[in-house]
Amino acid sequence: MTDTDLQPPRAPAADQLSTPPPARRRRRRGRTLDALLILAVLAFISPFLLTLVDSFRTAADLDSDPLGWPRALTLSNYALSAKQIMFVSSALNTLLLTLASCVCISVIGALAAYPLGRLTTRWSALVYRSFVLGLTIPIFVIIAPLYLLMRDLHLLDNRIGLVIIFTALNLPVAVFFYTSFVRQIPTELEDAASIDGAGPFRTFFFVVFPLMRPITGTLLTFVSLQVWNNLVVPLVFLTDPSKSTVMANAYSFADPHTLQPAQLFPAALLGAAPLLVLFVIFQRQVISGMTTGAVK
Amino acid sequence: MFTGRGRYAAILFLLPAAAVYGLFILYPLVRGVLLSFTDNSGGPTSNFVGLRQYQSLLHDPTTMGALWHTVIYAVVVLIAQTGLGLLAASVLARRERIRRTASSILLLPALISPVMASFIWSYLYRPDGGINTLLGNLGLGSLQQIWLGNPSIALYAVAAVNIWMFVGYSCIIFLAGYAGIPRELFEAADLDGAGRWKRFTRIEWPMLAPALTVNVTLSLIGSLGVFDFPLVLTNGGPVNSTNTLALLIYQDIFNDSDFGMGAATAVLLLLLVVVVSTGASILLRRRERAL
Repeated sequence: MTDTDLQPPRAPAADQLSTPPPARRRRRRGRTLDALLILAVLAFISPFLLTLVDSFRTAADLDSDPLGWPRALTLSNYALSAKQIMFVSSALNTLLLTLASCVCISVIGALAAYPLGRLTTRWSALVYRSFVLGLTIPIFVIIAPLYLLMRDLHLLDNRIGLVIIFTALNLPVAVFFYTSFVRQIPTELEDAASIDGAGPFRTFFFVVFPLMRPITGTLLTFVSLQVWNNLVVPLVFLTDPSKSTVMANAYSFADPHTLQPAQLFPAALLGAAPLLVLFVIFQRQVISGMTTGAVK
Repeated sequence: MFTGRGRYAAILFLLPAAAVYGLFILYPLVRGVLLSFTDNSGGPTSNFVGLRQYQSLLHDPTTMGALWHTVIYAVVVLIAQTGLGLLAASVLARRERIRRTASSILLLPALISPVMASFIWSYLYRPDGGINTLLGNLGLGSLQQIWLGNPSIALYAVAAVNIWMFVGYSCIIFLAGYAGIPRELFEAADLDGAGRWKRFTRIEWPMLAPALTVNVTLSLIGSLGVFDFPLVLTNGGPVNSTNTLALLIYQDIFNDSDFGMGAATAVLLLLLVVVVSTGASILLRRRERAL
């Protein structure tokens, strides 16, 4: 109990009732504006919300009024859609593909970035620049010759071939991220390691690579998003649907122009669900992965 | 570490990345240019045809149309996405209580992949789909359209999905830029009695230069090579009105097995990307340096 509680309640002054003080009025107006802004944001993503709600409605209920309020909810839409787009096997494929690509990209990229971040010779600058060049090249520029190359190497319709392609495609961003990070790591730790007799490889794997953990997290959330969501690579380089990814199979087996919402919406959400779950868990890393470079 | 005998270590460190990148990116890049001077159709032999592919390309209305659509698409997406992202960020930047929540919600569409976003919107765009139903319910029946069936608006309808998906992305990049603006600048502006517009033009816009660079670059890279949205939503139609260069390359190769033509179109796309990104980066660098 504080002193103020013991004082008799004071009636608000008449002028306070009619016109609240500016600070309080401003606060109240701020709160209203906040609420309106949240509503506007929700309206903006309403197509997504509509999909979410409608995906649980029965086909008959949806047919009568697709924009209306749900009257009957069901999970059977999901079972049907999952079967149609081979969701379970393709999700497993995509997961393995994403994991394998992430491992290759981070290890190979970090290995290359270590000398690139430390050296200041002319050839290292040239090598760095040729990697960064890849950041702006859309895959379509190289897809025809890449297809012929993969065919000649007998890597078409091959899961390992896909991992190689995704690794190659994402090396520029990995080298870019890691090199700028290596430049910020002080060299004292490495010097200490080399005085203790550790060679460059031991120094890298036991001292430098562990220090890169934060940037690896950022890079890998970015890369997983790329690999999971990519359509053209599996579409072009895989033909067997049992090896293919969620996006390619969803595209091949679900025609969005003819499919009823009761099957289309669950299909759309199934493909997105794993990443949405990941986002909820790793929200901070996802946002920092997406905003790297926005501040000087 | 990498001097003297360490040079060999440096080369070993670089070897895996250089091998993968060289073989699977740089080599195809060079081979693609060579391929564009041939009539390769996927078979073991092909003939050197000089500039013939390019000549027929420049006289082919489909290719020129696709080039034009790609440019319009990139410009529309660049302006709308960056503009809306900046608007959202400038509003949310000073509303601390809802900033995190609102920007996370806005970011949701950016996580659901172009294919999935296109699934959702292809329903909304149907003649009897969500948008026309909503317009009808609001008494705005005169605005109803066959959104993806009308050649003069289909490209913008496809671009709208792209914009819808990535406005949140653009917004959080600008918000990160806002977070980097020192508070003292705003306090000084308040003391000087600067209005909101003046604050924006004199402080926020110049200080957001790095964020703008990231936004413009990402948006250009994405939209010049756009493929998923037009493929799923319209497959290039109606009457090729949403055909883009990337889509054309895909069709050249995998419907017609015309690798020579596909490679020539790819060189055209490469030139477009190089010209646009060089131009953009010169402009943006100059702004950042002026800071």
